[in-house]
Amino acid sequence: MYKWFLASRYLYTKLIALFGVAAVTLCVAMVLVVLSVMGGFLDTVRSRSRGLHSEIVLEGGTLQGFPYYGEFGEHIQAEYPDLVDVTTPAIYTYAIFRVPATTWTKPARVLGVRLNDYVKVNDFQKGLHYDRYYPGTTRLGLQGIPVAGVVEPGTDAGRLPDAGTFRLPPDLEAANERWRLEETDPEAIRGFDVSPFQRAPFPYVTPAILGERVYSVDYGPPRYEGPEHYGVIVGCDLLNQRRDDGDFNRFLARGGDIALTLMPLSRTGTATGEPPIRVPLRYVDDSRTGIYEIDSLCVYVDFDMLQHKLAMDPQALVAGGHTPSRANQLLIGLKDGVDINAARDLIGQEWLRFYGSLLPEIHDVDALAMRNAEVYTWEDLQRPFIQAVEKEKVLVTFLFSLISMVAIVLIGCIFYMIVEKKTRDIGILKSLGASGRGVAGLFIVYAGAVGLVGTVLGTGLGATVVWYINDIQDFLAYLNPQLRVWSPDVYSFDKIPNVVKLPDALWIASLAVLSSIVGSLIPAWIAGRVWPVSALRYE
Amino acid sequence: MSKPLLRARNLHKSYMMGREPLRVLKGASFDAEEGEFVVITGSSGSGKSTLLHVLGALDVPDRGTVEFDGRSLFDLADVARRRYRSHDVGFVFQFYHLLPECNVLENVLMARLVACSFWGWRQVRRQARHEAEELLERLGLSERLRHRPNELSGGERQRVAIARALINHPALLLADEPTGNLDTEVGRDILRLLTELNVAGQTIVMVTHDAKVAAHAHRYVRLSSGVIRKVESPADGRVSTGSAAKETIP
Repeated sequence: MYKWFLASRYLYTKLIALFGVAAVTLCVAMVLVVLSVMGGFLDTVRSRSRGLHSEIVLEGGTLQGFPYYGEFGEHIQAEYPDLVDVTTPAIYTYAIFRVPATTWTKPARVLGVRLNDYVKVNDFQKGLHYDRYYPGTTRLGLQGIPVAGVVEPGTDAGRLPDAGTFRLPPDLEAANERWRLEETDPEAIRGFDVSPFQRAPFPYVTPAILGERVYSVDYGPPRYEGPEHYGVIVGCDLLNQRRDDGDFNRFLARGGDIALTLMPLSRTGTATGEPPIRVPLRYVDDSRTGIYEIDSLCVYVDFDMLQHKLAMDPQALVAGGHTPSRANQLLIGLKDGVDINAARDLIGQEWLRFYGSLLPEIHDVDALAMRNAEVYTWEDLQRPFIQAVEKEKVLVTFLFSLISMVAIVLIGCIFYMIVEKKTRDIGILKSLGASGRGVAGLFIVYAGAVGLVGTVLGTGLGATVVWYINDIQDFLAYLNPQLRVWSPDVYSFDKIPNVVKLPDALWIASLAVLSSIVGSLIPAWIAGRVWPVSALRYE
Repeated sequence: MSKPLLRARNLHKSYMMGREPLRVLKGASFDAEEGEFVVITGSSGSGKSTLLHVLGALDVPDRGTVEFDGRSLFDLADVARRRYRSHDVGFVFQFYHLLPECNVLENVLMARLVACSFWGWRQVRRQARHEAEELLERLGLSERLRHRPNELSGGERQRVAIARALINHPALLLADEPTGNLDTEVGRDILRLLTELNVAGQTIVMVTHDAKVAAHAHRYVRLSSGVIRKVESPADGRVSTGSAAKETIP
């Protein structure tokens, strides 16, 4: 009993123990901050990586794609109605991205998707900018340029109407009204309202401006104008300029011209011999997955249009008949609660059976393309990227934990000093009948208490730092812009992850208390071996 | 003749002083009977404290035996020897040896705490606390229960040490120069207290270099050069409540 009593008494009467508490506090706070930020970083990467994929992907593995994707999609939906929710094909290729009104050209990865189905299999819709404020108006089909204007032009000739009187075409205004009714955050509505229409005077291209709604504006009636082109959703970093605060300056008005230059491939993967195809498109929205590598490279267009432009739709054969249409991926959304790995294995087997059943009838080139296709989970596909961050997290946590080992040594030193200082007390206790093991236990309990108090304080400190880490950074950046270490430009995420996970905190806390105890073991052992007489004679 | 409570025979003890062994006890023998107040005197360095430590099983002799109540202390298992220190014997030291972080009451209760497990203490703590308060009241410290040792006078500290030594009702009280660090008057108070305890039946073995202190004892023995040289009765003819003491002088 005396162990618990004296340990608690030493804890708040011995100043030296406070150094131990401080060491543990700082180490716990440090590891908690690192683990939380890195863990949050990993979670963000993971969830955003998920954002572009369905749970299961049948991946062709080649640019020319594989056939019978549609038939297989229908087949598994019919065979496994409890497993498969939705299937939708996708095409990807590479293109030259160009804004005709400027001289900008950039390489781009083009994804052809059926938007209505595509948003059912992943979180893509959440990252669309205009679709948030004008829900349902982001379409990849043929469309003109929306132009904001005045409802009754010429009623007050010679006088410029107020900005507030500009109106978009009725479908956009109605969509915006729906958003206003459904939006629960009044700040979002207020922010939207104070952001004026941004005029795009020169063919839909504006100076670098921050805006929620960048449209072409004039004093005619609200309308759609210009030739109708297919829509394109552009990765936000490909077209826009990211600001320090994570928001974007937009240059192109919604509906502005974009051109992609594509290179069609034959079934065997060779160039068709035709000159590259230039496809004019309408910029309808920008997409933000949160991963710079994706947002600075990807554009999204209509699946059927892209399939046609890339000659992946059925092509007439000289010998008669047609080639089957091709896609690069079949995205498969699962029903809720389905085990994703089990589903992958099952669908993989089904794909092999399906392929086997078609083999006698299909062309060798198609058979080869189908054989190359494999079934993955979204995590399988993103593994290289996620694993890199995972390893980074482990490495950084390991390094900081290694630094925290200093706390163990420090506890050891502090307790060695305490044992030295308490030698006479040890003698007293032994003269009262305390055992060596009991005395050692006293110092171990004491160290555990130091560790526990340090852990509680460290967890509080660490959690507070994590919760306010963005404010802290803003403050540091206010003092000196060079101190902004987490740049959205670099990390792609606007904010430093600031969530503390309970399991992480518990894990660190346990380890910290254990480390404190480990640090005290040698001094405790020394204390236990002190001979009572020599302790009582100790000066 | 009654059986001695404590019986030490032919005790030898040496320490290393650098590379040379220093022989402190060279065959000391000693008896103390129940209810007796025995004073061991001797000059500084004569081995008085070492003898007392061996008698209290705080130290182990190189040779010789110590029997308490017929049991040979150094043949006992470690657990039994610790029990001897916590239950059968109480120590009073010259420098009090109180725990500075604990108040008076806690210092006294510490002897009981050491003897109890975590759960055992929960069962006895009320009784132990009551006993400690009663004991401290008897020793005139009822107003000082919450005081820390550094807030007490020397005499008060020594009385706390005595209370701590007595809290487990030991059969034997070993006092090592209990007045050595006190002025004459306070020292006299402490001796008076020890005498009262002895009169009440407490067996006491006290070490001192002050021959005058011996007047409070039934008898005193003189330790010189590691052996008991001389046994004398006190001059004031104090009547012992215990049996007559016997020593073997080698």
